[in-house]
Amino acid sequence: MTSFLAPTAFALALLIPVIVAMYLLKLRRTEQVVSSVYLWRRMVRDVEANAPWQRLRRNLLLILQILFLAALILALARPFRWVQGVGGRAAILILDTSASMAATDLSPNRLEAAKTWASQVIDSLPDDARVTIITASDSAQVLVSSSQDRRQVHQAINQVRIGTGGSDLTAALELASAIAARQPETDVVVLSDGQVTLAQRLAFKGHLRYLPFGLSGDNQAISTLSLEPSPGESGMTAFVQVTNYGDATAQRRLVLYSDGQLVSVHDLEIAAVAQQAVVAEALPADTHVLEAQLAGQDTLPLDDRAWAVHHDTRPAAVTLVSEENLFLETGLALLPNIDVTTIRPSDFEVNLSQRDPVGPISQPSPLTIFDAYVPITTALPAGNLLFIAPPRSTDYFTVTGTLDLPAPRLVDSEDPLANYLDLSELSILEAVHMPLPPWARLVIAGDTSDDTSPLLFAGEVDGRRIAVLAVDLHRSDLPLQVAFPLLLANLTGWLASGGGADLPDQVPPGAPLSLSLPPEAESVIVTRPDGSITRLTPQAGRAAFTDTAQLGVYRVSWQSPVSPAGNAVETSFAVNLFSPQESNVQPVESLPLLESETAEEGPDAQLARREWWRPLALIALILLMAEWLVYHRAVLFRLWGDTSQVITANMVRNKT
Amino acid sequence: MQTGRSDGWLDDRTIQPSNHPTIQLFDEPFLRKLERLAILSRRAMAGQLQGERRSPKRGQSVEFADFRPYAPGDDFRRIDWNAYARLERFFLKLFVEEEDLTVHLLVDTSRSMDWGEPNKLWYAARAAGALGYVALAGLDRVTVTAFGGGNTPGGNPGYFAPRRGKGQATALFAFLQGLAAGGRTSLAPHLAAYAAAATQPGPLLLFSDLLDDGWSEGLRALASRGFEVTVLHILAPEEVDPGRARWLGDAQTGDLKLRDVETGAELEITADYELLQRYRQNLAAWQEELRRFCNARAMHFVSVDTSIPLEELLFAWLRQRGVLK
Repeated sequence: MTSFLAPTAFALALLIPVIVAMYLLKLRRTEQVVSSVYLWRRMVRDVEANAPWQRLRRNLLLILQILFLAALILALARPFRWVQGVGGRAAILILDTSASMAATDLSPNRLEAAKTWASQVIDSLPDDARVTIITASDSAQVLVSSSQDRRQVHQAINQVRIGTGGSDLTAALELASAIAARQPETDVVVLSDGQVTLAQRLAFKGHLRYLPFGLSGDNQAISTLSLEPSPGESGMTAFVQVTNYGDATAQRRLVLYSDGQLVSVHDLEIAAVAQQAVVAEALPADTHVLEAQLAGQDTLPLDDRAWAVHHDTRPAAVTLVSEENLFLETGLALLPNIDVTTIRPSDFEVNLSQRDPVGPISQPSPLTIFDAYVPITTALPAGNLLFIAPPRSTDYFTVTGTLDLPAPRLVDSEDPLANYLDLSELSILEAVHMPLPPWARLVIAGDTSDDTSPLLFAGEVDGRRIAVLAVDLHRSDLPLQVAFPLLLANLTGWLASGGGADLPDQVPPGAPLSLSLPPEAESVIVTRPDGSITRLTPQAGRAAFTDTAQLGVYRVSWQSPVSPAGNAVETSFAVNLFSPQESNVQPVESLPLLESETAEEGPDAQLARREWWRPLALIALILLMAEWLVYHRAVLFRLWGDTSQVITANMVRNKT
Repeated sequence: MQTGRSDGWLDDRTIQPSNHPTIQLFDEPFLRKLERLAILSRRAMAGQLQGERRSPKRGQSVEFADFRPYAPGDDFRRIDWNAYARLERFFLKLFVEEEDLTVHLLVDTSRSMDWGEPNKLWYAARAAGALGYVALAGLDRVTVTAFGGGNTPGGNPGYFAPRRGKGQATALFAFLQGLAAGGRTSLAPHLAAYAAAATQPGPLLLFSDLLDDGWSEGLRALASRGFEVTVLHILAPEEVDPGRARWLGDAQTGDLKLRDVETGAELEITADYELLQRYRQNLAAWQEELRRFCNARAMHFVSVDTSIPLEELLFAWLRQRGVLK
């Protein structure tokens, strides 16, 4: 099995005769006159009694030198053998940690099997091999980069946990390729079940191999779950879709729990690679969390449970301070989830100035809209504010004049306030001229012949959201445009949000979530399905929550002084593994990986070259040291003798 | 040949060992010290002249030895009249006779002796001179014989005929200084011939390196003739431990061709630690063999390394071994 990488080194064997020749030449003896060879001859007589040994011993140096040279030449020829596993001077292991690796067809699961394999491979690597560990989930993560510290590598492998996301191998391979490009002889091994997303073509540098993990694809999954109020009835309706990814017809029992109470059981028989939908009606109307479970066992337990939450949509209170603006009142009335109270500007000031307000505004609403009006005598109310064509400056902006015939232009079409807006048809006769205050971002700009002035800007300042629309609704055709209701929806959506934290009902695992909170909320508590708690501090009414790796129902709560009775506001969202890619756990035997070297790999793909010149070099070193010792043994023995004499003398002296 | 001053100083010298161009055998304080020594003789031996040694003969001294009946012809003066008065018979009163001894010094002058650092022949000559002086100072007769080549009758006769008295010391020293090395060691015939020719056996001091297979035969011949033999086995430090020799260097290794200075015989060795170790063991075994051989024949055997100062040899070693007193 042993072959050589550099067989030309054997040419150095020609040095062996050279050594022998030099040895023979060296034996020209120096002549020395002695008084008599009488004593020497007496001794040589005994020496000749064990002549064969003597001859061998006398050539011990020569033998050692030849052995040393032989070991050195052998090491230089770089012998190697084929071994199972990874060869090369560096290895990059890409561990797929997607949800499908949690499949239990390998004991205890695919990822653990892959980790065990990886640990063994790393132990069998050459000592100086550099190891890189990359996990591929929704994103690629480099755990250990080009490390020679085996302990660190093992630690990193042990810390790999199954994720619930998908497996994006492209990013991991790009990383691996970049690392492999700067270290030669790198073996890249992908440990995966093959259920991965992969770019169509990927330029890859290095020696790439794919090692499939997984035996069976028998898996059923809940692929859809939704909970809606029944139309026209008081109860709730759930829609469940169960998919069989296995090759055989599967019989499973679907159990539905409403807030922990069993409400419905369905026995399903699902054909191979087919789906079955279940509609459960007449569920309790006060259901907050609906949990669906597939009873029984399959390969991947992760996707046998799903949750759906129902949000109580409480309309947000909006105060409109306006003189008879039909467009605005009609537009707002059409928007769902808001509850508009219209108040005349004169009443507003009276109301607000009274210590004990009565009438329409009993408490500050989350959003106040000032239409062509700015309060003069009183301060601005708490909560978010929307100004439409403000006649005067306020603390937040300065009105400097009017703007004639500005041409509206969207600054950033990705802005949430500019969603779906089309302003090409919009003509504006007159707008208020305001310089852009520093806290605001420009949403719509108005270009005039000699200047550009903001038409709509918005921002967060003093813990509240403020939007200012410079366009006078009566002096433009904006209310007649399709853009008007959309703009109103966008504005109220942004300004009057926070009632339900803008939560989607379903979140894919690992997806980051942006919680939209009322400006008063000082801290948010997110309770994960396992009960662990994260406390977030919102920045200007928003908080980002990224740790959505666990499947289940997350509860979000915050203290809001605005909310009724000052109670904690609580809402929730569900994280479900509705991922056909992950639920389909059928292992893929070969990946349509890259058109790189993998194509040539035959059944020998699992073999790697393992060089073993190292022990030979060690032997050569030992031989060299032995040769030195033998050469200097007289001195060494004498030194040793002197030392022992000194020791003996000391011992004697100590005794006496 | 130049004679030295009577106080024992030798200004000039004729011994010219290769590596000691100028020497003086002894200085005066050293000779004074030597006068305190005496060569011991375990047995009483007959001498020629009146001396200070107990002789087996009965004669005139102060020390009473024995009585014997009178026989006609005996000297009347030696009749013990007190005994006659009591016993009415004649008895002669016998006294211990004190005579001189002949001390034999045998110096090996083969080529192998002219070797070593310090030189063995020079060392042997000095030792012989010192011991000879001790004997002369003790009113004993001293004879020196050099055996080995190099001393031809024409130049140095190689033989110092028995002489007595401290006055002969200068002649002795001159003779010893004139010794030259040459020829091969052939102990057996020389020693046998000496034993056969000796007229007055006495203490015999043999200075030799004994590097010859004939040593046992030669020593046996001496012992059979009744000499009190003391063998001073003189070896150079390089012979005792070749590891100390300069030609082996610090590493004490090397591939050498050894050439015998006497015979020209060559021997190839690869010196290394084991070889030197075995050499030392071998030498020790040989000296042990020599010692046992000598002890069995009531000979003294003194192993002498020429690096030992002569004084130490004389005042410590030889006294310790009962050769000197």
